[in-house]
Amino acid sequence: MQQHRALILRSNRFLGSALVDKGLVTTGDLEEANGKFMEAIQSADLKRASILSTLLFDLKKVEEAKLLDYLAEEVKLGLIDLNFVELQSLRPMNVDLSLCWASSTVPFDHVEGTYMLATCYYMSAPVIKHWEELLDGRVIWYGTSTASLSRALERIEEIHETEDTAEDDD
Amino acid sequence: MPYSVLILDDDADFNSLLTDIFEQADYIITSLTDPIEAVDVFRDTDYDLVVTDHKMPEMTGAEFMKVIKKMKPEVPVIMVSGYLENDTIRELISEGVGGVFLKPLNIFSLLERTAELIEEAKKIENAPSGDGEDGSGEDVGAQLGFVFRSYPCKSGASASFAERLHNLRNFKSTLSLIGEPGIHYRSICEDIRGFYETDAEQFIYLSAGSFDQEQALSLIEVAKKDGAERVTCVLLELETMDAAQKTLATALSKKEGAFEEVGVALRTIFCVSGDLDSLFDEGLIDENLYILMGTAEVSVPPLRECNMDVGVMAQQLVVEVAREKSLAAVPRFERSARDLFRQHKWERNFEELRATVRKILDDNPGDVITHAAVKSALKVNEGASPRIRFESHLSSQQIDYLRAVAILLGGDRSKTASFFGTDVNAIEGKMT
Repeated sequence: MQQHRALILRSNRFLGSALVDKGLVTTGDLEEANGKFMEAIQSADLKRASILSTLLFDLKKVEEAKLLDYLAEEVKLGLIDLNFVELQSLRPMNVDLSLCWASSTVPFDHVEGTYMLATCYYMSAPVIKHWEELLDGRVIWYGTSTASLSRALERIEEIHETEDTAEDDD
Repeated sequence: MPYSVLILDDDADFNSLLTDIFEQADYIITSLTDPIEAVDVFRDTDYDLVVTDHKMPEMTGAEFMKVIKKMKPEVPVIMVSGYLENDTIRELISEGVGGVFLKPLNIFSLLERTAELIEEAKKIENAPSGDGEDGSGEDVGAQLGFVFRSYPCKSGASASFAERLHNLRNFKSTLSLIGEPGIHYRSICEDIRGFYETDAEQFIYLSAGSFDQEQALSLIEVAKKDGAERVTCVLLELETMDAAQKTLATALSKKEGAFEEVGVALRTIFCVSGDLDSLFDEGLIDENLYILMGTAEVSVPPLRECNMDVGVMAQQLVVEVAREKSLAAVPRFERSARDLFRQHKWERNFEELRATVRKILDDNPGDVITHAAVKSALKVNEGASPRIRFESHLSSQQIDYLRAVAILLGGDRSKTASFFGTDVNAIEGKMT
C-alpha cells in the first residue's frame, strides 16, 4: 500500500472537496474527517485511511444511500452490487490488488478490451484519471457501496490465495 | 426582447433540430455549418449565447470557442457533441465553456442551462461600471451585496470568486487561496476581513521572510489587546517557507503546541502560488498541509480570465499611484489604451499590472494615458533587452528542469541535490 501513498492522499483530498462542493457534507465535517484520515495515514494504517469511510461510519455525517442516489441521479452513473458478480483473479489483467484497496476501485469484468470498473470514489478525479491511464481509457464506470467493494476485494484476495496454493502444489 | 443565439454544427440535420428547439423556445437563431464563416458572423453580430458542436472538419468546437472568447469573452458558449473524453470536458470547462451536452440531448436541461447562462451574463453586463472617478469599485460591491475591492467583479470569473469567498467567510478553521504567481493575496484577504463589521474579527499577516513562533504569538497578543475574539492568521507565500515554518504553519492551523492555549479562537488562511498537486509532488507542500488545505479551497482567478476587470483595476492603481505622487489630477486612460490592458496576458498577474501602471506614471503621461504610453510600458515589462528575455527564459527552464527531477525523485531534496552534484541549500534556493 505504501507505494500508493500519494494516490491515497490525493484521491481522498479530491473526494472531500467534491463532497463539500456538491453540498453532501459541510466543511466542518470534512475538517473532522481530514483529522482522522491523517491519523490513519501517519499510523501507516493505509487500508483504513479513507475519508469516505470516516464520514460514513466513524462520524456518520453522510448516508451511503444518499451518496449512491446522487451518483445515479445527478451524475447518471450506473450502480452495481458486486455481491452478485462472479469475480475473477486480477492477475490476467495485470492489476495490483493493493491499488484496488488504495483507490476503492475494482475491475470486475473485461470484455473485448474494455474494462468494467466499480468504485466508491467516482467523485475523486485522481482515481478516475489513474485507472483510465492505467487501462488506456477503455473503461466503463459503475458506482458501488463500500461494503460491496470491501467484500469483493476480500473475495479476490481468496481467489489469489487459492491460485498461489495451487501453484505451490504444482 | 427575445435573445439571439448562434448555432454552429456541421451536421445539417442536427443543426436543423437544434434550430427548431431554440426557435420553439422563442430565441432568434442564426444557424451556420461552417466554423470559419461563424467566426466572421460572430465578430460582426451581437449574440447572447453560442451553441457549437465539438467535432467539425475545419476547426473543433474548442478551437472555435477559443477564437470567439478572445473577441467577446462575455458571450457564454455551450458545447454539444456525440462523445467527449472526460479530460476534454474538464479542459473545455477550464477554458470557459458554460455547459457541455452529450448527444442524445436532454432538451429541457439544454434550454434550462441556456436561460441560466444568458441571465448570468446579463447580470454582469448590467452591473454598475465601477470605474468612477475614484476607481473604488464600491458600487459593484453594492451590486454583489457586499464590498469587494481586490477585483471589480465585472467578469464572471471574478464575480463567482467573490461570491464564493463571501459564502465561505464563516469558515471554521482553514481556508486555502490557490492561484498563479503575482496574485494580490493580501488585498483579497483584506476583502475577507471587510466582510465583518466588528473589531472582534482581526486578521494578522505572516510571510516567509519573517514568520516564526515569536512573531505569530506577538501579533495574536496585539490583536487580542485590540479586542479580537477571533484571529485569522493569513500565511502568505506558503510554498516559499522553509520546513520549520511549514511545520509551524501546520501547528498554527491545528492549534497545537504554542498555539494550543492562546486564549482566542484561531483560523488560518493559506495563500499559495502554483499548482498545489505539483507543489506536493515537488515536496514543497508536505502531507499535513496538503490535506489541511483541501478542506475549503478556492482558486483565485488569474487576470487573463478577468479581462473585463483589468481596465478598472488599472484605473484604481492609477488613482493609488497618483495619490502617492501627489499629482494635481488623476490621469485617465483613453479607450484604446484601456483595451490594451484587457488584451494583455498578464502572466505575472497583479504584480505585473501594478509595475506597468507605475511605469506609465513614472513617465509623466499628463491628463490622458494614451495607447502609445501603455504599449511602451508593456514592452518594457516584457524585457526590452533580448539578453534579459533570454536570461529569464533560461532561468525558468532551469527551474522547470529542477522541479521535474524533484518530482521524479519523490520530492527528496538530498537525492535531487546529489543528482545535480550540488548541495541541498542550492536546490532549495532555486526551487523556492
